[in-house]
This record gives sequence, structure tokens and C-alpha cells, in this order.
Amino acid sequence: MISVTNLSKTYEVKRRDNFWTFHKEKIHAVKNVSMRIEKGEIIGLLGINGAGKTTTIKMLTTLLEPTAGSYSFDGIDAVEYPQKVKKEINMIAGGERMLYWRLSAYENLWYYGQLYGIQNTVLKERIQSLLQMVGLWEKANLPVESYSKGMKQRLQIARGLINNPNYVFMDEPTIGLDAVITSELHQQVKELARKQEKGILLTSHYLAEVEELCDYIYLLSNGEMLIEGTKKELTDYVFTRKQCAFSVKGMDKQVEEKLFAALREYDTEGEISEMDKGVLVTSERELTAFLADFALREGYVIQELYQKEPSLEDAIMKLSKEAKQ
Amino acid sequence: MITFFKVVWGEAIKQHRNYFHSKTIYISLFVWPLLSFVTAYYGYLPFEIETAKIGYLNGENILIYLLLGYMCMSFFRSLVQSAWNFSFERQSGTLEYIYLSPGNRFAVLLGNALSSVLESMIVMLVFGIFLMFLHKEVLRMQLGTCMVVFCLMMLMAVGWGVFLNACFLFSRDTDFLFTILEEPMEIFAGVKVPVILFPGWAKIISLIFPLTYALEAVRETVLNEASFYELKGFFFISMMILVLLFGGTLITIQIVEKHMRKTGNASLF
Amino acid sequence: MGAKVFFATVWKEFRVRLHAYPISFMVSCLTTGIYTNLGAWLMYHCFFEGRLSSDFSLYAGTGDYMSYVIVGSCTYLFVVRTCLNVSRTLVTELREGTLDSLMLAPFHRSAYFLGNMALQTVTTSLELLISVLIGLFFGLQIYHFSPGKFIIAVILSLYGFFGISMMLGCLMLYTRNTYITQNTLFSLIFLLCGITFPKEYLPKALQYIGALLPVTDAVDLLRTSLLGGMTAEDWSATAMRLFVLSSIYILMGFPLMEKAERIALEKMEG
Repeated sequence: MISVTNLSKTYEVKRRDNFWTFHKEKIHAVKNVSMRIEKGEIIGLLGINGAGKTTTIKMLTTLLEPTAGSYSFDGIDAVEYPQKVKKEINMIAGGERMLYWRLSAYENLWYYGQLYGIQNTVLKERIQSLLQMVGLWEKANLPVESYSKGMKQRLQIARGLINNPNYVFMDEPTIGLDAVITSELHQQVKELARKQEKGILLTSHYLAEVEELCDYIYLLSNGEMLIEGTKKELTDYVFTRKQCAFSVKGMDKQVEEKLFAALREYDTEGEISEMDKGVLVTSERELTAFLADFALREGYVIQELYQKEPSLEDAIMKLSKEAKQ
Repeated sequence: MITFFKVVWGEAIKQHRNYFHSKTIYISLFVWPLLSFVTAYYGYLPFEIETAKIGYLNGENILIYLLLGYMCMSFFRSLVQSAWNFSFERQSGTLEYIYLSPGNRFAVLLGNALSSVLESMIVMLVFGIFLMFLHKEVLRMQLGTCMVVFCLMMLMAVGWGVFLNACFLFSRDTDFLFTILEEPMEIFAGVKVPVILFPGWAKIISLIFPLTYALEAVRETVLNEASFYELKGFFFISMMILVLLFGGTLITIQIVEKHMRKTGNASLF
Repeated sequence: MGAKVFFATVWKEFRVRLHAYPISFMVSCLTTGIYTNLGAWLMYHCFFEGRLSSDFSLYAGTGDYMSYVIVGSCTYLFVVRTCLNVSRTLVTELREGTLDSLMLAPFHRSAYFLGNMALQTVTTSLELLISVLIGLFFGLQIYHFSPGKFIIAVILSLYGFFGISMMLGCLMLYTRNTYITQNTLFSLIFLLCGITFPKEYLPKALQYIGALLPVTDAVDLLRTSLLGGMTAEDWSATAMRLFVLSSIYILMGFPLMEKAERIALEKMEG
């Protein structure tokens, strides 16, 4: 288990006042972040408004030293023993960089295997099984520069697993990939967690991806932990009120006004907003029965009536707006 | 220890595959030094060579004198070039992965330098030996001393390479380093004009380059039959230089890793 | 149409360079000049203490070694800077992804390259001024300055350098490599064209190869217009040879460049 307690990082930057003088300024990139990652879990790390995601990941991967706080990997103190921790972790970054383009996939993996001091016989087998897993075994000896974007990204996955790490940090792993390859990669990420019992921390700009993959989500804002929980917990927290999509045959302004009047009688805080088709009704109280009753009473034929589940994206957007305010 | 050598070997092979993937690299490693060697040789012809103030130098052995200069310089220079190439690891992001691994940092720099020296020396060495064989009548050397001096020179070249790798990898402006190291080495290390004849200020600059000492010793042993005893000064200085270069590299690595973990930035200078 | 393209190219290049002037290029060219002069100075003053062999003044047309080398290295700087930038233009367009949009436009290549050359000549002249100052420090002396000859020599040299730039450009675009191609050519020029020593010292075969490069005649013309040492008939003959040679380069350069462009675009697709 990765256990992070009150992790903080403060940078000191020089700001030039004029040509001759400058002053030092402290920037709190991450403040008191705590989190836990268990093996076999996929954890999402999301951020809004210059959140400090990259700094957090760099600290967790031992590339950066925290200014305060502690974190441990299966009981090993990562601040004290970064070398020990390095053997247990690895990172998979998105984009086409961070590979040696002139080397083949096999050579890339072999090189990193040497850096991790893996025994030759073990390494050989591992490279083969990893390349088979990501579907690159047939092209293992071609230079990486001849690979497509998707193939390079799959190679990144294999590279990130070369030391058979217990914990994998994935930083925007599907950036710039098409839908088919993205879905293949999602499958592989799930298998890593479910079948191979690896603990995964995933950051992504695609909220639908986080929604699909992650068991638990941490949301950072301005370097601080804004909220954490499962997707359901997050949306429930953000959207305490119920929402229903509603439309009837021949819906016009007059119908909307009638509905609004009835809603305010039912719940003085109730709201109506326009949707593509019909309206979205929001209230503290139960809405389905109320709306069905309204249609029956007024003699309208219902076209659409369903309770709307807020998505993670809706929740994050709302939180982001609130955090900005 | 095995892990250390695994990293050295891994890095050397990677360097080989990454930069020697195309045969055009041999143009920069062999054709350019060869062309500048030939140019330098013809550059001597406008002068009365026999009147040069170096005792053992004459019209016959000036070619070998110059050849030794360019041969040794090409080893050292290939390391400046490969260090410059190595600095792109930071830009391409692969340096971060190296830091993510537990692999020994010094081993990485060493593997890289070793690979550059060995790869770049082969062609030039074969050419040099061939040319020396053609002019064997001017050679006045003690083979034993010559071998020792040559090995020491190679060691110094590797030390120089490791040190440069550290400097280039962690420097913000590598172009600047490249400019100040590439050409001055040819002038000030005494490749064309013996350092002993330099004016004082130029002599001081020449002290910076390990090539200066290595070159002097190589020429003395190949052309002037210098004995082991006569070169004792060189042996002492070369040991000092090796300690300085390797020590300097180890310290730089330590400081950089500390600095990088603190600021998230690998550039130190 | 041609003038429009010419001025537009000058303006575009000027804007691009104003934005990101390759300072390191300039610095490395200037330092090459300094080091060449310094190297020659050490050889002349420290190593051989001014003792020149008897055939030097015969070949060089002057007994002033330092001035001979400094004028040569300044010319070399001019060649390197103009060739480097004019030949690189299309490869740069290729790398930045602007080559295909450029090729879509129905414009005159000649005006485009001339525009580049014009701007580069102005930039290099300014850099050269610094080199000449450095040269004065190392002992440059102008004995027989002949303004008329000098102007003709400069114009003819620029014409010749333009020709080489075109050829080098073709080679760069075809191989998509600038580093190896340009440096190999520059090393050859440095050896064969009489930059730091009279070309007569070279074996005959190398002298013939050197004669195929317009730089050889250009250096001779520029040098003798400043330091003297060539009869009027020889000077005119050399000037004529340079003109013919450069014209051949340019006449071959344009169709070859079009071919290289096509190949480069095809390679890009593949």
C-alpha cells in the first residue's frame, strides 16, 4: 500500500525586480496532500486550476523531494530510501517522447532492464511477454521511429512494466490517441489492476476515462486536496438535489411557465433549465411522481421523463466553477 | 558490482545503437578529422620546418607529429560531441526515466563515454597505425612505455568524457559549452603548435585540457624515445587529472540529484 | 511578380530572424574566425618565428603571411554564413512543415532564393565587419587596395557563393541532412580553396578538384584586390573563370532544386 500523509512541496523562485536586484518568492505547489493506494486498485488523480498534479506525481515517483510530509510504499519510507522504492514503482507517460526512437522496441526495453539490474534470462522472457501483451512482439525489432502513435504508447506501457513494479503511475496515458486504441489501452490498464494486482495511479484530462477506470478519485485544486471519494460519492456530494429530464408533446413557453408555477408550489427552491428537448427540472424533493402527476392533471402526453444521473464531468465542472469563485 | 557493470554495458550498447545507427556518423568521426589533419599538414608547408625550435622535429617527422596530434584530439573531441548528443536526453524526457530507475548514475555516464571513445578510436587508430607504418623510419619509440602512455591517454579521454557528460547533461546552455570546448581544444592543447612555445597566457589556458598533457607524452614517447622514467611527471599529472575528473563527476552527480529532487530542474549551471 | 516574391522573402526572413536570431551560429562563426587567426598567429610568431619558406611569396603573391590568412579566413566566414543559411532555407521549411504550403504557391524559386541571399549578405557583412576588426588586431594590413577590383570581386564572389548554396541546398534537401552535408563541404573548402595556405602546395589532383569550387577563384580575386600580387591579365582571366563556373552551378542548381523538392515531398508522404 502507498500511504501519503500531509505531503507538501514549496518551491523557492527568484523574481527579478529590475536589472540588478531580485527577490525570492515561495510557491506552494502542493499543500498537505494525503492519499492511499492499495494494490489491485486504480486511483484517479484529477486536478483543476493549476492543481499540482505533476508535482504530486513527481514526488510519489521519488523524482522530487517533498518539503514536508511523509509517504511510504509497503512500509518503506520513500523520503529516506528512494533507491529501494524505485525498484517497486514505474511510470507510464503519455505522448511520443521519452523513448529512444532509433532503437527498436526490444532494445528500448532491454536498456531499461539493464538500468534496473534485471537478470538476463529473466529480462529476455519479460521483454517477450510484455511485447506480446501490448501486441508489439511481431514488430519488436523495428526502430521505434517507424511506429504509429498508438504503437509508441503501447510500448510506453511495456516500458513502464519492465521492472514488474507493484505500483504504476500513469500520467495522461491516452493523450492524443484515437478511440479504438484508447479502448484497447483501457482494457490493458484494467487487466493490470484486476489480474496482476498492481496499484495504479492515473491522471487524465479525459474525465470519461477516469469515470470508466478508477475505483477512487482524488481531486486537487490549487495544490490542495479538494475532495476525494468514489465516483458516486463525488457526484452525490456535488449534486445533493435530484434532476429529471422532462418533455411533453407540443411543449412550448406556456407549458414551461405552467410547470414552473406548479414546481414552485411543490418546492419553493425548485428550478427549471432548458435542454435540447424539453427541460431539466431540479429539486430537493422526489420529482418523477410529481412530474407524472403534473402531466396527467394538465392532460399532456409525456414524451420523456427520466431521472438524470449527474456525470463525473458535471461534478468536476461544477466544483471547478465553485473553486474559481 | 554486477549491477554497476550491467548499467555500464546497457548504456554503452544503447549509445551505440542510438548514435551509430547510421554510417554517416563515421563522416564526422573520421572524414572531418582527416580533412582537418591534411589541411593542418599543408598549413605547415609555407614555413621552414627545419628551423622549428623543437629539437626532435624535422621535415620528415612533422607528418607523424601532426598525425599524433589529430589522432589524440579526435578521441577527446568525439567525447565533446557525444556529450553534446547526450544532453538531448534531457530534452527528450528520457533522462527522467533514467532518474526513475535505481541504476547507478555514474555507471550511465561512464557507459556513455566508454562507448564513444571505443567506437570513435577504431577507424582513426587503424588509419594512424597505417600511416606510422608507412613512415616507420622516423619513429623512435619504446614500445612498452608507448603502450602504457596510450592506455593512460585513453583513460584520461574516458574521464574527460564522463566529466563532460555530467557538465552537458546538467547545463542549461549546451551550445555555449560546445562552442567553448570544441575549437579551443585544437588550438590550446598543442595539436598544431607545441604548448611549450606558447606565450604565457596561452600556456595557462592550455592547462585546462587533459589532452595537452596526454599529447605531449604521446609525442615524446613515439618521436623522442622518452623512457618510463623521463615521463614520470606525466604519470603523476595524469593520475591527478583522473582523480579530479572522476571525483568532479561524482560530486556533480550528487549535487545535481539533490538539486533536481529539490527544484524539479536538472539544469545546474 | 518576381520582385514581389523577392521583397516578401526578405521581409519574412527578416521577421523570422529578428524573432529568433541564431546567435549560437553567429558566435560559432566568429569564434572560428578568431581561432583560425590565432592558430595562424601562433604558428607564424611562436612556432616558426616568422621564417617562411622561399616558395610562399611566390605562390601567395605576398610575403605577409598573417594578412594572407586573415583575408582567407574572412572570405571563408562569408562562404560559410551565406551557404549555410541560403541552402538551409528549404530544409528548414521542410522541418517546420511549411514546405508543402510553400510549394502550393506558384512563385519563382529564383526570387525566393535571391531574397534569402540578399538578406543573408547584409547580415553577414555586419558580422564580417567584426571579423575584420579582429583581423586588424592579429596584424591584417591592406597594401594594394583596388576599389574597382574589390567591388567586382565581391559581386562575382556573391554570384559564386549563390551557386554553391543552390547545389548544397539540393544535397541537403535530398539527404534531409544539414549537419553532415554542410560540414563536410566546409571542411573540403577549407582544405582545397587556398584559405590558409596557397593551393599550389596541394598535389595536382586536389588542385583540380579545388578549381571546380568557385570559392577558390573568389578567394584569389578578393585577396589580390586587397593585397595585390596578380597581373591584370591573370585577374581578368580568373574573374571570367569564376563567372562561367558560377553560371554553370546556378544553371544546374535550379532544375536540380525542383527535382530535390519533389523527392523531398514524396519522401514526406512515404
